[in-house]
Amino acid sequence: MVSPNEEPEKLLDEAMAVVRSQSFQMKRCLDNGRLMDGLKHASNMLGELRTSLLSPKMYYELYMLISDELRHLETHLLEEFQTGHKVADLYELVQYAGNIVPRLYLLITVGLVYIKSNENCKRNILKDLVEMCRGVQHPLRGLFLRNYLLQCTRHILPDVEDPPPSNNPNDNEQGSISDSLEFILLNFAEMNKLWVRMQHQGHSREKEKREKERQELRILVGTNLVRLSQLEMVDVERYKKMVLPGLLEQAVSCRDALSQEYLMECIIQVFPDEFHLQTLGPFLQACAELHEDVNVKSIISSLIDRLAAFGNKEDSDGIPSEIKLFEIFSQHISTVIKSRPDMPLEDMVSLQVSLVNLAQQCYSNRLDLVDTVLANTLHILADNLKITKIHSGSPLGKELARLLRLPTGNYNDLLVILQLQHFLPLLQLLDYQGRSTMGTFLLNNVLENGTRIPTPEQVDGVLGLCASLVRDADDQPLSQPDPDDLAEEQLLLARLLHQFEGATNDLQYLILQVARKHLETGGPKRVIHTLPTLVFLAYKLAHAYFNNKDQDEKWGKKVHKIFQFCHATIAALVKAEYSELPLRLYLQGALAADVITFPGHDTVAYEFMSQAFSLYEDEISDSKAQLSALTLIVATVQQTRNFTEENHQPLRTNCALAASKLLKKPDQARAVTTCAHLFWSATINGQELRDEKRVVECLKKAVRISQQCMDASVQLHLFVQLLNHYTYFYEKQTPGVTISMINQLISKVKEDLTQLESGEDLDQVTSHLNTTLAHLALRKEQPLPDGPSYEGLVL
Amino acid sequence: MLVLVLGDMHIPYRESSLPVKFKKLLVPGRIQHILCTGNLCTRDGFDYLKTLAADVHVVRGDFDESQYPEQKVVRVGQFRIGLCHGHQLVPWGDPAALALLARQLDADILITGHSHKFQAFEAEAKFFINPGSVTGAYSALDSAVVPSFVLMDIQSSTVATYVYQLIDDDVKVERIEYKKSV
Repeated sequence: MVSPNEEPEKLLDEAMAVVRSQSFQMKRCLDNGRLMDGLKHASNMLGELRTSLLSPKMYYELYMLISDELRHLETHLLEEFQTGHKVADLYELVQYAGNIVPRLYLLITVGLVYIKSNENCKRNILKDLVEMCRGVQHPLRGLFLRNYLLQCTRHILPDVEDPPPSNNPNDNEQGSISDSLEFILLNFAEMNKLWVRMQHQGHSREKEKREKERQELRILVGTNLVRLSQLEMVDVERYKKMVLPGLLEQAVSCRDALSQEYLMECIIQVFPDEFHLQTLGPFLQACAELHEDVNVKSIISSLIDRLAAFGNKEDSDGIPSEIKLFEIFSQHISTVIKSRPDMPLEDMVSLQVSLVNLAQQCYSNRLDLVDTVLANTLHILADNLKITKIHSGSPLGKELARLLRLPTGNYNDLLVILQLQHFLPLLQLLDYQGRSTMGTFLLNNVLENGTRIPTPEQVDGVLGLCASLVRDADDQPLSQPDPDDLAEEQLLLARLLHQFEGATNDLQYLILQVARKHLETGGPKRVIHTLPTLVFLAYKLAHAYFNNKDQDEKWGKKVHKIFQFCHATIAALVKAEYSELPLRLYLQGALAADVITFPGHDTVAYEFMSQAFSLYEDEISDSKAQLSALTLIVATVQQTRNFTEENHQPLRTNCALAASKLLKKPDQARAVTTCAHLFWSATINGQELRDEKRVVECLKKAVRISQQCMDASVQLHLFVQLLNHYTYFYEKQTPGVTISMINQLISKVKEDLTQLESGEDLDQVTSHLNTTLAHLALRKEQPLPDGPSYEGLVL
Repeated sequence: MLVLVLGDMHIPYRESSLPVKFKKLLVPGRIQHILCTGNLCTRDGFDYLKTLAADVHVVRGDFDESQYPEQKVVRVGQFRIGLCHGHQLVPWGDPAALALLARQLDADILITGHSHKFQAFEAEAKFFINPGSVTGAYSALDSAVVPSFVLMDIQSSTVATYVYQLIDDDVKVERIEYKKSV
């Protein structure tokens, strides 16, 4: 038994062997001057091409070997006849070869030689050959035979202008361009018929296999088109009048999808763009008439993409203005869509993608064309098909996203996209996931290109485009979004806010209001990411008004309004049950209102401080968070410059009170120490407070609280820190802070150190004490010129 | 040994991103350590620093979540480098308060931020650096913040400090030397 695959292999080997042996004998006979015997062996060799048992690939191998060998015959014959042998006889003679396949190969070979030795018979012989090839109607054999004809004649096809009309049959014996066109178009038509017919041979269950084989052979048919395109006499006019009609007629009438798809694609690729521009009508007309299985979308797209690239090429003059490229395509595409009710929706959208590409490349200043395409797409999807939601993972969803991305990526300016009236309605057809992805894409585009959004209307538009990032949507997934993903997405949105930049302060204020209107609808999980940025933009704006106060007499009122805006915005965060960040935003507001001295700023700063205090007292319960918030509050109060005593007094008193109310003793000690600095260097109405009594009180209280700490090492840490703060105030020459207080602390620490077990804590305290003592020693040795004396210091 | 010192990015609260010209200078593979004074504000900022160097130290700024320590000491070569954002020190930026922290950390070099203003000075044989804000972020107390960061080239007992400032959209570099006294 042989396996089914083995048999054709064997057959091919056998056939190759015969070919080699016959060609060897052919060459020997030819060398010995026995022409007739040589031809007989050639005929035997060619007889192998009569087989029907080989696959197209194997048949091709065999054909290549044989056509190589035939070249020897051709060369030999050419030499013979150039030395005077009669050629005409031979042309008659080979017609008697027994079988049609060898006979026609020989005829072609001899015919070629005949033409080469006598140009005057070219016209007739070419006609003769292309007609005679009809004799082989077996698809595979016929295709290769005609391919041989095409190969042999490739350099001798007449490529000269037609002569004027004449009645004399002897005129134009060498032929002219019309003869070549007729020759190739006939050969092409016949080859295409053979190629199409292949499909209908054999069993129907082998359909796929046959299609694959046909795909392998398509280049044979396409070679005809290549040949046509190589003829110099084929100009736009001839292409329009003779070439294209012949090709399209054959393509349309064959009713074979595979052939049509290939031929149309081949026409686009083989002929120059200038030709296509002049023949768009007939070509697109033909597209509408193609078999329903043909992927018309890819044919039209590929033509558009080529012409778009052509129109945009640097060395070309672009698209001639008399050719309404966009209108032609737009119109034909809608015809094609109407004539094909079964066309997949994604293909329909994909055609629109090509149209947008065309508009952008060739008519870059015609934004209205892009919008027209979007409008048409919207019309088809929403009005005609009543589609309300498109799944972003579907082919249609992906194409639609591509359509929306294309202008965004082309203009790289979201302000331009905002001018497209139909962009947003089309975007809204996408499902939640699709809209979010698109929103992220649009935001990244703004950030990467540094697009500034200068008006409230445009801010409204941009936030509308990424609405699914701004707030909840009806169709969003029921599950909570991953916090990290949400944070990343909202980070983009927050960064976007920095791109909002009104030309004037007043405009900027309107912009911030519009932005807040959108952002405050984001819900608790979003506002924490976006509103803080809005607050800082408002603070910046307040500074801008302040810096420009000489040019705007109403600046004070406007700044007051901005602080109200910030107050309300922070309150929204508090309402969403956040505390730490709003507290810090209030403190920043207090600092800003302290510096920006508009009428009533003192009251505003106080209000912001007191809001911070309220949050501290009511909302922050973690002891670590409490200490860190209180430290920040104290530092902020210390930093302000312009409070009146009336407002400052309750603030600092509350600081001290809050410090002593902290839960943990070490925290108390640290916070109370911090308050000592508040009483020393706080500034009221531009004057430093210098309340030495309260300073000493705080320090002493801190010592007392430290003594209450049970943990010996914590206590020691606190003492060394306090020693440093005493030193600080001594250096500042605070009345009431004395050398003896420092001495006491030093000896206390030294004493207690001996009690501490060795370990990391001991090392740290010791090191801290050493650096402190070193500092004191240095001061004692080299007192600062305006500093205190360290007389009596015991180290 | 190159140490990048930067902080107070405040992205996205106060700024959108690092200046493009800084981003171009900060390329991966050249820097061994990063010391960040805090206020990255998001995870994104930390991830960015991680792309520049493997060894990243961050302390907590007043607008950071609490995942970073309040202060830390990093050893590079012969130097003990103290790192703290500085909002905890009252009064902010006070040299005596900074000196107090430097003693507590036994630091040869103390790095703090918060003021959004580059500063470098020597006192009592210690070196104090504030790299400013790398984004030039808003500060209520300074209406003309200049974006800046610091690069320290540490060779055994010397530190060459380069400060990069973005002035009128041009990067200006200055060099300051500090030697550790033995």
